[in-house]
Amino acid sequence: MTRAWILLFLMSVLGCTQRDDAPDAASTVLIFKHGRLSGDERMLTGLLREFERRHPGVTVREEVLPSSSDQQHQYYTMNLDGGRAPFDVLSLDVIWVQEFAKAGWIAPLDDLPPTIRREDFFPGPIEAATWDGELYAVPWYIDAGVLYYRKDLLERYALDSPRTWPELLRAARLVLDAERDPTLVGFVWQGKQYEGLVCVTLEVLRSNGSDLWAGDRDRAEEGLQFLRDLVWTYKISPLSIGMADEDSTRLLFGEGRALFMRNWPYAWSLLQREGSPVRGKIGVVPIPAFPGFSGVSVLGGWLLAVAKHSPHQKEARDLIGFLTSPDVQRRMAMELGYNPTRIALYAEQTMLDAKPIFKDLFPIFLSARPRPITPYYLLLSQAAQPELSALVVGTKDPRDVLRAVRRQGDWLLPRLARASADGEP
Amino acid sequence: MKVADFNGQKSDGPGWNLSERIWGYAFVAPAMTLVSLMALAPIGAALWLSLRHRLPIFGVDEFVGLANYLDLLGDERFWATLRTTLYFTGLSVGLELPIGLGLALLLDALTDERTRFGRLAQTVAIVPWAVPTVVSAQMWLWLYQPDYGLLNYVLARIGITVPIDWLADPRWAIHAAVIMEVWKTTPFAALMLLAGLKALPWELRAAARVDGAGWWDGFRSITLPLLTPVILITLVFRTMDAVRVFDAVYVLTGGGPGNTTETLSIYAYKTLFQSLQLGYGSALATAMFLISAILSSFYVLLLRRRMRDTT
Repeated sequence: MTRAWILLFLMSVLGCTQRDDAPDAASTVLIFKHGRLSGDERMLTGLLREFERRHPGVTVREEVLPSSSDQQHQYYTMNLDGGRAPFDVLSLDVIWVQEFAKAGWIAPLDDLPPTIRREDFFPGPIEAATWDGELYAVPWYIDAGVLYYRKDLLERYALDSPRTWPELLRAARLVLDAERDPTLVGFVWQGKQYEGLVCVTLEVLRSNGSDLWAGDRDRAEEGLQFLRDLVWTYKISPLSIGMADEDSTRLLFGEGRALFMRNWPYAWSLLQREGSPVRGKIGVVPIPAFPGFSGVSVLGGWLLAVAKHSPHQKEARDLIGFLTSPDVQRRMAMELGYNPTRIALYAEQTMLDAKPIFKDLFPIFLSARPRPITPYYLLLSQAAQPELSALVVGTKDPRDVLRAVRRQGDWLLPRLARASADGEP
Repeated sequence: MKVADFNGQKSDGPGWNLSERIWGYAFVAPAMTLVSLMALAPIGAALWLSLRHRLPIFGVDEFVGLANYLDLLGDERFWATLRTTLYFTGLSVGLELPIGLGLALLLDALTDERTRFGRLAQTVAIVPWAVPTVVSAQMWLWLYQPDYGLLNYVLARIGITVPIDWLADPRWAIHAAVIMEVWKTTPFAALMLLAGLKALPWELRAAARVDGAGWWDGFRSITLPLLTPVILITLVFRTMDAVRVFDAVYVLTGGGPGNTTETLSIYAYKTLFQSLQLGYGSALATAMFLISAILSSFYVLLLRRRMRDTT
């Protein structure tokens, strides 16, 4: 046993030395940190090998983080706060770019390869990645909230897919009353106390022209009241929505037990795969709006950035240029179902033939709006989540919730702005 | 002392005349260095951080003295999480101890017979404790699922047809977390108490039985008083753990709905790692540390008095 350990130790030591003394002294090792992608991991690995072939002397090492957004954020904050980061390229949630840019953790991408032009990408993520006039991250794949519906059930009662909230309510009531199926619910969405609930709330409020942290109070209250009424008055959403996240709603809808679902496009390929009870019975439309307004999806998705203190600034930019190139985005879309951030790809016939859903998603991505673009977004969202959760489970009324959320914003933002002005050299 | 004895035997050669005391220090020095590096340094760093305003995103890093602690006193959310934590701790420890004691007595009786079944029961009983908390919390998440979870199914079979929304209902959520915690850590309490029971002199109980004492009398006047130190130690362990509870509640509810299940450590976690208020978060963590310290010194005091009384 001991001998085995010694052997193992020697092997690891020798292994390390060998790596350091590699003959190609000029070789650069780029460390690429990203969350686990769904689907076949070898796909991305294959892409990275291809990048290495095109850039002799550069080796890319992948370091994968858990897929949970919160855990990734935690990893980055702990590793970037110390200054020098143990990686060169990282993937970021769209809501972190401002924060990381302000903290000085990621580098402005002023000298990107010429293949990356801002106007080629969807405007939402570019706006979210621009801080102080400079681009800090390049959109890698895009997401936006959409409404899934059961085509078969709506057709059975000669209903159209809803464009407004009243239409959705009517359709849900009608189908639920007619089906008399106690296990069927009307509308599921993310109501747990977490970021997902903030997205849903923003979509409902923006679909009557209001917003959560600013703007018309009365209409914002109406929007919040509507969210609460879905559960407590119209009863088309179950009380368990107060614990629902993306996956639990997808599973419920995927079992054929919900008529409508708000979710991200990632659910589409999972719901449509072989053996899914709802395969071929579903459709996707934009988030409904209140009459007289148009629905607005909340923007999601991930971007690529360069760690500020990485010694391989140029190679890191090359890797980002490669991963966001039309060719790589096309392959990631075809093989993994990730939505490209380049507008032009949605006009390609081969792409649309392979992924007809992109035709429905394109206008949604084009009009999707980011969450408030501020380095303090996570603070705002964190503070609002308990309030919104209390609204959904019925322990607080819309007026109090809105007052609390607005007060947090009014109190936090000026203080933060002052603190950071003082803090700057 | 062992070190000193060892030194005493070997100290007859020249040059080995250093006093025992110095040798003692020399021998424990590596261990002490390790302990201070591993335990004291991080605690010191957290304390230091709690005296600062440190918000890396805003480029703020300044010494503010006790300002964070003063903010804490006026922070409603802090008091709410403190109440939740104490409620959770009181309820879960209050349930774990009697159930664990019952379980320990049962296991003790079973293993006394040296049956195979006794050993099997002992092994099975500690399974919940051996499963990682995150895994069991995920399991309970499914059990608590209101529509197709096992718990509501069982309740429906015994006649309670209105499904309980275990985690989404603000009145139930914290109790759902307590139930899981009790299930999970009662085996630990039982194991500690079982070890205590095994160490009791069986002659006393046998003598009581000969004198005609029933099971209950024997338990009340012999087993329980002798077991008290072990009970107190179990209480210390369990209370410390319950005050710090994080993973069980975080996986189940994430602190929701409406913050009704947010414990101190969840609040500290969110402050530290999600909203990056490192100074304030450290003040929260320090407050948690102080509360643990107060509670445990209370137990230690009880234990000391107990020891003095019995000797």
